[in-house]
Amino acid sequence: MNFAWHIITLIAIQMPAILGYNFVFGKGKIFHFGPLGVSLITAYASVLTLVHTQSFVLSFVAGLCAALLVSLLFAWLSFRLEADGLGVISLAVHLGLMAVVLNSNVLTRGALGIPGVKRMAFLQSVSDFAIFSGVIAVIAIIAAYFLNRSAFGRRLSALAEHNWYAEAVGVNRRHTHTWAFVIAAIGSTFSNFLFPQYLTLLHPSDYQFHSFVFYIMVIVAGNPGSVLGVATSTALLMILKESIRFIALPAAMIGPVRLMLFGAVLFAAVCWRRDTLFPPKREV
Amino acid sequence: MQLLVNALIAGSLAALIAGGLALVYGVLGIFNMALGQLVLIGGYATWWLYQVAGLPLIVSILGGLATGALCTWLTFEVFVNPFYRKHRFLPLVTTIAWSMILDGLILLLFEERPRSIISGLPEGFILWGAHISMQQCVLVSVTVCALCAFGYVFHCTSLGRRLRAVVQNTHASLSLGINAPLLYRAIFIMSGVFAAGGGIFIGIDQNLSPTLGFTYTIKAYAAIIAGGKGNVWGAVLCAYIIALLEQLLVGVHWFNAFYVPAGYQQTVALLFIIGILLLRPQGLFAHKVRSA
Repeated sequence: MNFAWHIITLIAIQMPAILGYNFVFGKGKIFHFGPLGVSLITAYASVLTLVHTQSFVLSFVAGLCAALLVSLLFAWLSFRLEADGLGVISLAVHLGLMAVVLNSNVLTRGALGIPGVKRMAFLQSVSDFAIFSGVIAVIAIIAAYFLNRSAFGRRLSALAEHNWYAEAVGVNRRHTHTWAFVIAAIGSTFSNFLFPQYLTLLHPSDYQFHSFVFYIMVIVAGNPGSVLGVATSTALLMILKESIRFIALPAAMIGPVRLMLFGAVLFAAVCWRRDTLFPPKREV
Repeated sequence: MQLLVNALIAGSLAALIAGGLALVYGVLGIFNMALGQLVLIGGYATWWLYQVAGLPLIVSILGGLATGALCTWLTFEVFVNPFYRKHRFLPLVTTIAWSMILDGLILLLFEERPRSIISGLPEGFILWGAHISMQQCVLVSVTVCALCAFGYVFHCTSLGRRLRAVVQNTHASLSLGINAPLLYRAIFIMSGVFAAGGGIFIGIDQNLSPTLGFTYTIKAYAAIIAGGKGNVWGAVLCAYIIALLEQLLVGVHWFNAFYVPAGYQQTVALLFIIGILLLRPQGLFAHKVRSA
C-alpha cells in the first residue's frame, strides 16, 4: 500500500511542473530545454531559505522568486535565439547552473546535497503527502485546462503555428511567451517546494539531464499541448519508471536499462506523433 | 605560456568536433544531440580494439573511426532522415532519444570506470616554458592537418564547390545536377568521423568516461552558435576562443587573490554565448545567404 501512496505522491508532485512546461514546449513549441535548470534553482532557493529561516512561507516565496528569475532569463534567451539554438543554449544554461550548485560547497554542500529537509507539520506520512500533493495536482490540472482553452492558450497556439502571421493579427509574442514561462515557473515552484520535503533530501542528481528527458517524453507521448493527455502520460510513465526497480536485474544494470528504455519510449512517441508534434503550417 | 598550450590542445579537440558539425548544420539545418555519444563511441571502440583485442594502435584508430562512421550513418538513416523532411526540429528530439539509448549502451558495455587508450604517463618536453607531451604534439598536428585538408577540399575542389552549393541552396544545386541527398549522407557521416576522431583524441590525451558526452555536445554547439550557424571556420575559431577562455578562467591568479575552481570551467562557454548574444545575436562570423 505504501508503494501505491509513493507512486501517487510522485505523480502528483511532478504534475504542476510538467503541466507548466507543457505550456512552453507542448503548446507554445518553444524549444526551452532547461526546465530542470529552473527546478534546480527553485529547489535550492526554497530549501536554503527553509534551512536558514525555518519558515515555509518564506521558503515558498524564495523558490517562486528564483523560479521566476531563471524562467525570465530563459524567456529572454528565447527572444534572442532561433528555436534550435535556444534548445542547445537552454541545455547549456542548465549545465552551467548545475556547475554552480556543485561547486558552491559552502552554500549548497556540492554533490553531497542537503539532507534532513524539514517537512510541513501536516505532511508527516506518505499518505499525507499523497493526499496533499494530489489536491495540488488536481488544482493544477483544472487551472491548466482552463488556461489552455482561454484567449492566452489560443494566442500561444497561433504563435506556435506561425509567429509572423499571429503577430500580424495583433498577438504580442513577447507578452504571450513571457506568460508561458511564468506559468511554467509557478508550476515548477509547487513541485520543487514539495519534492525535497517528501524525500527529506535535496540532491543535485535529481535534476540531471535524464530527468529532463522524462519531461520531454511525457509531453510528446501525451500529445503536446493537451492537458489531459499530458496528465495521463505523466501517471503512466511514472508508474513505468518506478516499476523498473522490480525487474530482476543486477543493481548496476538498472540505471543503464532505464536510460535505454526511456530513449526507446521517447523515440517511439516521436514516431507516433511525427505528424502532429510540429504540425505543418496552414496555408491559404 | 602553459595556458596557451593547454588552450591549443583543448581547442583543437573542440574544433575537430565542431567543424564537421557546423557543416551539417549549414546543409541540413539540424542539430544532432547524440554527437557527444558518437564522440565516446569512437574513443571506446579504439580503446577496446587496442587494449582488449590487442590490435596495433593505427589499426585500432582506423577501427574507431570506422565504428564512428558506421554509428553516424545509422543515426542518419534511423533518427534523422525519416524525420527532418517533415520538420527540421524533429531530429532534435529523436537524437536526444538516441543519445539516451547510446548512453545506456556505453554504460552497460564499458562501465563507469575511466578508460585510457594509452596507459601510463606520457613522456613530455618543455617548449617555450610550457610542458607538452609528444602525444599532444601529434594530436594537435593531426587535428590541424585534418582541418587544413578539409579546408582544401571545401574551397579548392569540385567536391567542395558542390558542398558549398548545397549549403547555399539545396533546390538550386539539385537543378544543376548535384546529388544533394548523397552529399547529405556524406557530410553527416564525415561529421561523425570528426567526432570519433575527437573521442580518440580524448582517449589518448585524457580518460574516456561515459558522462563526458553531454558536455562535448554543448561545447561544440556553443562554438557553432557563437561562430554564426553554418559557418565552419567561425565555429572552429570560436572553439579555440572558448578553450582559451576556459583555461584563462581557472589558470589565472585573479587580482593576486584567488583561483576560480576548475568546476566552473564549463560555464565559460555559456557566458561566452550570452555575451555574444547580447552584442551580436546572429553570431560573430555570420554571413548572408544568397537567395533567389
